[in-house]
Amino acid sequence: MNHYLELLSILILLSSFILAAAKRIISYIWIFRLQSFLLVIMAGYLGAVNFRKEGDIDILIICMVILVVKVIYIPRLLENTFAKVAYKVEKDFFLNIPISVLICCGLVMLSYFSIFPIDDLREGVMKTYLVNSISVILIGLFFMISRKKAIGQIIGFLVIENGLFIAALLSAHSMPILVDLGIFVDVLAGVMIMGVLVFRINENFESININKLRNLRG
Amino acid sequence: MQNVLYIPVQLAVMLLLAPLVNGIIKKIKAVSQKRKGPPVLQLYYDFYKLMKKGTVVSETSSWIFRAAPYIYFTAILTAALFVPVTTVLAPFSVTGDMILAVYLLALARFFMALAGLDTGSTFGGMGSSREMMISALLEPSLLVSLFIVGLIAGSTSLYEIMKFSVLSGITILQPVYFLIFLALWIVLIAETARIPVDDPSTHLELTMVHEAMLLEYSGRQLVLMELGAALKQLIFITLLANVFIPTDIFVQGRGFLVTVILSLGFYFVKVVGIACVTAVIEINTVKLRLFSVPNLAALSFAFAFLGFVQYFVIGR
Repeated sequence: MNHYLELLSILILLSSFILAAAKRIISYIWIFRLQSFLLVIMAGYLGAVNFRKEGDIDILIICMVILVVKVIYIPRLLENTFAKVAYKVEKDFFLNIPISVLICCGLVMLSYFSIFPIDDLREGVMKTYLVNSISVILIGLFFMISRKKAIGQIIGFLVIENGLFIAALLSAHSMPILVDLGIFVDVLAGVMIMGVLVFRINENFESININKLRNLRG
Repeated sequence: MQNVLYIPVQLAVMLLLAPLVNGIIKKIKAVSQKRKGPPVLQLYYDFYKLMKKGTVVSETSSWIFRAAPYIYFTAILTAALFVPVTTVLAPFSVTGDMILAVYLLALARFFMALAGLDTGSTFGGMGSSREMMISALLEPSLLVSLFIVGLIAGSTSLYEIMKFSVLSGITILQPVYFLIFLALWIVLIAETARIPVDDPSTHLELTMVHEAMLLEYSGRQLVLMELGAALKQLIFITLLANVFIPTDIFVQGRGFLVTVILSLGFYFVKVVGIACVTAVIEINTVKLRLFSVPNLAALSFAFAFLGFVQYFVIGR
């Protein structure tokens, strides 16, 4: 059982590496969709195990909610927003891609060095899970600060949320269902508001490059 | 008995199978474009015809140009001996491991690049400089991946590594092996001039890398160069097939000859499978700009590095 969960958590980490190496906004959205889908598989698997053992369906419900919200709704929302704003092909990142991928490697090392000294973790495999999920959070954070365009930053935010969810799912078999649902509503509202904001930024500056927000500052 | 059989079997399988892989990939690509495409055995016919033709050598070229095909081919053929097609037969006991195999491939590449430069044609020089850049970018991830696999198995000999894989089940399902598999797959694509890095079907285009170095060759020398390239591709495919998807566990416990034949049969199926997947990838991607190749190489290195973290630091 642990084998497959470990493989899935690695795959999620890999998808965030591929995200860090992606160049186009459309491919960000697709990779995010893929990552969320992996999350759905993971939640479905854990949910099924939990259902058979204890007969509660909380994780399965959450799995369905992720499928609807993160795999279908949010990517489509972002695609629509992206289709409406003027698209100019321009460089979207501050650091070039090989360097940002190497920095992501460094972040994995960082999360390892912060997790490893904790002795009370139940078993070795838990450390793997935590290192992987905290790396996903850090990579999302790095992605957020390394992209110039607003949609890239929204994706970074969503990846951070994915990372938090994996950490909760793998270390504590998910949070109470009310907390999880609350977080999803938050994320959904946040993304919708950000989508509108992207739209407004585009209207005012004719670009979604957030560097232009500083135009009026001295 | 086993040691005696190893070399003939290895050479026969490698040399006969190598052009077939290219044929299969070309056929799948053609079918996907609704063309009929050349027959699967086209490369063998080409080689047969080219062997009968004379060679034309440019007057300005030196001995390097004439020696390069032989060095290229022998180096790759020697490297092929270190990558067993089946773990049933034990290899000969000459000292040599994966590091030797990797650097024999590097030697072959070095002479190919020299030959490209030697005739002084503009295409050749361009191809050589690009090839060297790509190989320099990919060598770290190739070696890191092989070292990790070697560390897990506790040996640098590829035969020992493959034997270890056979004992530990379908290894690709383990996280570390999965990461290394992805890293090596990217190396396979880049080293064998496949599409995201180089387009094998172009001839006389500004973007070509591998073809540009072979432009001046003809006749028998061209056969050696082409067959060498096909062999190199098969070496990488064998590595992926036997280390990551070991099947020899299924054939144990039968008579010796039956075991060997069954094992080779499984090997053939795996090679064809990997060729099919490579073809599908090639159909679905476009060629990268040359200056985007570092991104791919960085990703490959990152995968290998993650494998290292998973294995070493977290312990497994």
